[in-house]
Amino acid sequence: MFTQVKYWNPYIGPFDPCPPMRVKSYQTPPNLYIGFQPPNMEQYSPRQALHCGTLWPAFYSPYPSDGREEE
Amino acid sequence: MSRTLPPEYYELLEELQAVDFVLVELTLYLDTHPNDYNAIQQFNHFAKQSKQLRKQYEELYGPLMQYGKSYSGYPWNWDDAPWPWQV
Repeated sequence: MFTQVKYWNPYIGPFDPCPPMRVKSYQTPPNLYIGFQPPNMEQYSPRQALHCGTLWPAFYSPYPSDGREEE
Repeated sequence: MSRTLPPEYYELLEELQAVDFVLVELTLYLDTHPNDYNAIQQFNHFAKQSKQLRKQYEELYGPLMQYGKSYSGYPWNWDDAPWPWQV
């Protein structure tokens, strides 16, 4: 399957005045991978949909921010 | 005198919020899938449910919307608390 967040290691120059950010992350929510939405996909219940922010579990993205800060 | 509301008020409001959210999602979905008959059926089902919930709410707690979109009680009470941000 796919991951909701991806990481990369930016180039760190020798003359960088600030402490370098070794690992950076970016979000890859499901809608990037699904493309045109197929009909009759499985759905949440109304309350659950309200909680999750989407009607279809396939599109649910918790927007994670944790993960490998330092590597 | 601050008026306290029964738990059914919050229950009903959350139910209405959930149904309306489903309607928003289905509207966006149907914009790009105009021929999806099941989704349209579901949309009409939830639209009917939303109307019923609004009617039920307004009978108990006063108008939800103004300018004729909701009936008014007596006396003119659309400015009673709680406002949406006070709920």
